Amino acid sequence: MSARLGFGARAALTLLLAWLVLYPMLIVVREAAHADALRAFASRPGEWRALWASVWISVASVGLAAAIGVPLAFLFEWLEFPGRKTLGSFIALPAVLPPFVGVIAFQFLYGESGFVARAVQRLFGLEQAPWQLQGAGAILLVHAYSMYVYFYLLTRAGLAKLDGSMLEAAQALGAGRWETLRRVTLPLLRPSLAGAALLVFMTALGSFSAPYVFGGGFRVMTTQIVAAKLNGELSLAMVESVALALVTVLGLALLRRTEGDDVLTALGKGTAPRRRPIRRPGVRALATAAGWALAALLLLPHLTLGLVSLVPYASWTTETLPPLLSLVNYQRLFGEPERLRPLMNSLWMAAASTGAAMAVALAAGALVGRRRPWQFRGPIEALIALPWALPGTVFAVALMTAFGVHDPLRLRWVLVGTTVLLPLAYLARNLPVTGRAVLAGYRQLDPALEEAAASLGAGRGATFRRVTLPLLTPALAAGGSLAFVAALGDFVTSIVLYTPDNRPISIEIMSSLRVSELGVAAAFGVILMLVSAAVLGVGVRR
Amino acid sequence: MSAFVSLDGVRKQWSHSVAVGPLSAEIRRGEILALLGPSGSGKTTVLRLLAGFETPDAGRILVAGEDVTSVPPAQRRCGMVFQHYALFPHLDVGENVAFGLSGRGRGEGERVAAKVAEVLALVGLDGFERRQVHELSGGQQQRVALARALAPEPRMLLLDEPLSNLDPSLRERTRRELRALIKRVGITTIFVTHEQEEAFDLGDRVAVLQAGRLEQLATPDELYERPASLFVATFVGRANVVRGATARALGARDGQVLVVRPERLRLGDAGVPGVVRERRYTGAAAFYQVETETGDRLEVLAGPEAAAVGDRVYLEPLRCLTFPEGPA
Repeated sequence: MSARLGFGARAALTLLLAWLVLYPMLIVVREAAHADALRAFASRPGEWRALWASVWISVASVGLAAAIGVPLAFLFEWLEFPGRKTLGSFIALPAVLPPFVGVIAFQFLYGESGFVARAVQRLFGLEQAPWQLQGAGAILLVHAYSMYVYFYLLTRAGLAKLDGSMLEAAQALGAGRWETLRRVTLPLLRPSLAGAALLVFMTALGSFSAPYVFGGGFRVMTTQIVAAKLNGELSLAMVESVALALVTVLGLALLRRTEGDDVLTALGKGTAPRRRPIRRPGVRALATAAGWALAALLLLPHLTLGLVSLVPYASWTTETLPPLLSLVNYQRLFGEPERLRPLMNSLWMAAASTGAAMAVALAAGALVGRRRPWQFRGPIEALIALPWALPGTVFAVALMTAFGVHDPLRLRWVLVGTTVLLPLAYLARNLPVTGRAVLAGYRQLDPALEEAAASLGAGRGATFRRVTLPLLTPALAAGGSLAFVAALGDFVTSIVLYTPDNRPISIEIMSSLRVSELGVAAAFGVILMLVSAAVLGVGVRR
Repeated sequence: MSAFVSLDGVRKQWSHSVAVGPLSAEIRRGEILALLGPSGSGKTTVLRLLAGFETPDAGRILVAGEDVTSVPPAQRRCGMVFQHYALFPHLDVGENVAFGLSGRGRGEGERVAAKVAEVLALVGLDGFERRQVHELSGGQQQRVALARALAPEPRMLLLDEPLSNLDPSLRERTRRELRALIKRVGITTIFVTHEQEEAFDLGDRVAVLQAGRLEQLATPDELYERPASLFVATFVGRANVVRGATARALGARDGQVLVVRPERLRLGDAGVPGVVRERRYTGAAAFYQVETETGDRLEVLAGPEAAAVGDRVYLEPLRCLTFPEGPA
């Protein structure tokens, strides 16, 4: 490719990305700057309360997720106890539950008419359900369950990079175990911990399913936005979106600053410290028991979902456990074309958006993945990462605003109400995960390999097909499977952008719940869970 | 003899302070040329210009009379062995070697297989076709890289620091085998190295580069005996560099720098007086550090029993080189 052609291609990709992810946001910012809407936002105390609730829920989620994930990471990385390997594979279980499905599983399990509440009610002979799963506490419970994984995985990765001799050096210099932890281990883990905190904070700030189902009177910004949109107060929804986006950007900037440089990578790799077996039999038994209890706790939502999916309509009333189990829900689901359609919709939209996101990521990798040339690299990388920093609700409102008007001169077309807007949203939301995977893959690629292919007579196309693509396959598979699973289970953007023609599974689950078809909703959930697990199992291999 | 490969005023500007060239050189058919220089001297750039990975800002590159300056690497027919070999990790040994052969028409599978077997035999790896690249030792990987580069029968062979990734104990043997193999194939070869011993052992002629400029292109003997510049004299082989009174005492004129190699100084009965300060024993001989009365220190190679530390000696030069004092 000649230099001018490459320049043109990079410029074109930058413009395309800017149109897809930045332009809608700018339109929302401009349209939100309306005096009436701003006044409405500023004068309603509920808005400020919701914004504050979003912030403190996110901070508390970071604290809770860290409190669970970090000790677990130390336990699994540093200590040896019976069942460590088996238990370790359970830890990632929450990852195969799409957010909305996880939330309804919690509803079935811990909700006021869930299994646990019923058992407690029966046990103590109570008249009423012992509790209601509502408000901030319920939201935090779900967040802690689904988000500790970030802390767990990143801390373990950080610990694995730690050089055991550094800890020995500290001890040889007279530092005790706690002092070593405080003065050496934790400072070295700072980038991992800050990275995990950032992920949890952003996810919690954008979290919609849990507040939507469990919020009750407790409102956060994401649910406010959707409520305003459903009430027809579009300009208010825009102001709310901008407010939430501002908080997100602020949080991102603050947390990025604490992240610091990864000194461990700079120093090069040593050998990770050896795992210490727990010797005292009592402690060993305790650790093992705690491990299995944790595994059970992690697996319970999945089991609950499976169990509820076997309950025929209206057959379960006051009993602690459902009296009747059958496969009738699955039969209906696969037997009635109308019920199968949401599954098909979700599958094609997830597949198409993932395919397109991978293509964009590959183009970005081919154009700016190498050391030279550097033109447009910064803008392209920033644009690819941008959707990650925007809560799904905000992004959906932005797309809805930008593509609700016919103005081709300003590159705006009416896409609202068509089937393409939702997959387009999935595509943009999938860019960060596929882009990061492919760009990282490109960076790990030895440039000499492509030069070797060229010196052996392979042209540009042949080199890409025979060398680059096969070597990028693991990165593509990992990024692609994560993106596919996210799109398949998406609820946040879907609830804003779906049309009757492309109703995805999550919306179908919601309407099944509305008409009390718990079994059908759970069956959909189980299918989502199994497809997600299968796709992740194939795509994300170590 | 006419040139097979010519560099004609080739220049590559990296930044306003870093540039390679302009340099011109001619390489004969079947010759092995070493590009020798310290890091940053531009030797790798010259190799990459020849391979076509970089395009010169000025000048021409000719191969067999054909101007290849703007021919892309895929059409240049240069076999290249990379410093870290760049073997394709997703292909086995046979597929790596066949990479440059396939796609030359249908129904040629057997011909390709035969060629792969032939070049693998040439590098002494018969029957390694189905081995995985990561199972091989460093030396074997290097030979696979060589076989892969030779398989498409390129017009010239380019090697980037071919021995730097090998165990020191392996290097000397590999060097001799590599030279024998290249000579057997008879291919024009250009390789990059920063080690003088490697350049001398493997190369028919050596091009010494420094700061992007070609200092001298000559046979090893010539480089050692008749270096064209002070840089070449000190970069190639051990050398004492002296200025001022000691230089004059050894025969230099005013404004000249004198270079004398340790084996060209003798501890004799007359000459420049000095005191032995250090003795480094190497077995067959010893190096003596002699300090002259003006404080210069010179290294002398002599028999192991020629002197002891503290002895007063006289330095007798056998052959000295002088260069005009350049801008230091």
